[in-house]
Amino acid sequence: MSLLRAWLAGIPAYLWSGWGAVASLFLLFAAWEGASAAYGALILPDPATVFATLAGLIDSGAAWPELATTARRALIGLTLAIAAGSTLGMLAGISMTASMMSRPLVTVLLGTPPIAWLVLAMLWFGASDGTPVFTVFIACFPVIFVGALQGTRTLDGHLKEVATVFRLPARMKLFDLYLPHVVSYLFPAWITALGTSWKVVVMAELLSSADGVGAALAVSRSHLDTAATLAWIAAVVGTLLAVEYLLLEPIKRELEGWRRQEGSAA
Amino acid sequence: MLNRNPVAAGHPLWLCGFRPFFLAAAGAAAGLIALWIAFLGHGFPLPPVVGGPFVWHAHELIFGFALAAVAGFALTAIPEFTGTAAVPPRPVRLLAGLWLLGRAGFWLSGWLGAPALAVAGLAHLGLVTGLVALLAPRLFSDPERRHLSFLWALLAFGLLIAGFYAEALAGGAPARWLYATIGLLMILIVLAMSRISMRIVNAAIDEQADAAGGDANDERATEYRARPPKRNLAVVCIAAYTAAEFLAPGARIGGWLALAAAAALCHLQSDWHVGRALFRRWPLMLFGTYLMMAAGYGLIGFSLVAGTDGFSAGRHLLTVGALGLAIYAVLNIAGRMHCGRPLDERAWVPLGAAALALSALLRAATALPDAPAPLLLALSALFWLLPFVVWLWYMAPLLTGPRTDGGTGCEGIIDAAHP
Repeated sequence: MSLLRAWLAGIPAYLWSGWGAVASLFLLFAAWEGASAAYGALILPDPATVFATLAGLIDSGAAWPELATTARRALIGLTLAIAAGSTLGMLAGISMTASMMSRPLVTVLLGTPPIAWLVLAMLWFGASDGTPVFTVFIACFPVIFVGALQGTRTLDGHLKEVATVFRLPARMKLFDLYLPHVVSYLFPAWITALGTSWKVVVMAELLSSADGVGAALAVSRSHLDTAATLAWIAAVVGTLLAVEYLLLEPIKRELEGWRRQEGSAA
Repeated sequence: MLNRNPVAAGHPLWLCGFRPFFLAAAGAAAGLIALWIAFLGHGFPLPPVVGGPFVWHAHELIFGFALAAVAGFALTAIPEFTGTAAVPPRPVRLLAGLWLLGRAGFWLSGWLGAPALAVAGLAHLGLVTGLVALLAPRLFSDPERRHLSFLWALLAFGLLIAGFYAEALAGGAPARWLYATIGLLMILIVLAMSRISMRIVNAAIDEQADAAGGDANDERATEYRARPPKRNLAVVCIAAYTAAEFLAPGARIGGWLALAAAAALCHLQSDWHVGRALFRRWPLMLFGTYLMMAAGYGLIGFSLVAGTDGFSAGRHLLTVGALGLAIYAVLNIAGRMHCGRPLDERAWVPLGAAALALSALLRAATALPDAPAPLLLALSALFWLLPFVVWLWYMAPLLTGPRTDGGTGCEGIIDAAHP
């Protein structure tokens, strides 16, 4: 209970620390405004115009269905990648042989550009949802796999021995020893993967779909509508920022708390 | 035997640099606004100067009131920060004379023309040059050079004064130099506050702990630290906005930069979230300065980005609110401590600070649609005048009288616990 209270008491301080990020974003907008003044509205519309366009898209109801479609595809692909990547990565981490074997394969997966996977996916899945979902899955999988692998491999052998000597019950070993450690590796990997999924899904849609934010971007490009293009980009980036800083970052801090305390005590 | 002639160097008025300058600042604060409101309300004639009454108003409050406060603060605080000898009375008297000459020259410039204006410009420049000459060796003598930023700020002050007078003598519109000086003053406040607040806020935290029945020897649960990265971000944003306003007044790019400055100042406030101790009078007064500054830049930014009214209201939150509160706090804190007296715990001090905050809000409220502007301006002026008049009432005897604690100059409270 007191833990919960301490956590809740920390929320305002966390939110308040966001002002630093807000200041940086406003500096970015100022640079954007300056570039817009230098190159003209056709090349780069100013931030106010873009946000007005975005507000128009939201008001007219055009934005939400597209964002929902895109989010659905990204989340399906990401969920599949998290499930497969975490499980396989942890399994591979348990066995030295498996981790040795899997490393080159991961390098191959990481090294293949997502656009190449996209072309393959278009051949295999056509214009269906399968194309963006598969592309997201294959782009996120190796990132999560490596995180899970490292998490399992770096488990402290001494702690394991101590746990065995003291005959800790299996449940306790799993929840108090292995999982906190592995999750502290897995979670950052999931967050990185979330960012990747959000970017890759837009790219996949741009080339292969008739709906979603990527498709809307393709349409605004064909109309030479820079303001609408930037408005869609702002929507995508804004959603990602909101999810990351309002949802994932606080969880991450919580999960990694034990690490920081250890570091500061040392 | 103490000299009774206030012009003589032996008079207690010259014991320390802040004494004449803080008196001048408080007197200017009250007198200038009294004249200004008489002009706005009843058409009372102001000295005709280049650029008209608005330039007179801004020039006098910035180069008269604020510069006097800055000079008094710098002459007292920098020797203290750097652990060097106090500035002797003779140069201080010269600088005070230059300040008066600057007032006289500028006020008469409408009648006497360019020569008087040139004299005023040289007097102001002489004052800043004198400060730099007196204080630069002290700032460089600190092996770590921790307080060198004050030197750059003083040099920038000199540059802006030179710019104003060059443009005024050339017959141009010199107001933008004054606006840029407001930005510089905001930066100076952030720099100075980070030094003052460390002591004031932590003292308040200790008092709070004592009041709560804690053991004085307990380690502090919370400690206030003014962290440089946050401060630097705020300084960079304010400087960027000031430059943008100077080069492209009214442009939307300045609006984004002002919003960035507001956000950076909010970020800076997170250092101050130290619990109940914040609500004691001294920390709250200093914290109010940051609140006013953030609100001022926020309003300026919003009005520029959205293209609405409120720009002038935002600027007056900076000047009346942030600058007024900061100077009032310094007048009360440094003004007492370097007279060898403990901080004044009577009610007039926080009431004065509240009046200043109210004055800033009333001035800003004139921008609201259908606001009774003349009434609000008059009330705002009244709430600005009162604290400074009351301060003079209580503090002038202290600043013009000898020290009663055996101190002979600028030293703080002489106390066995704080040698």
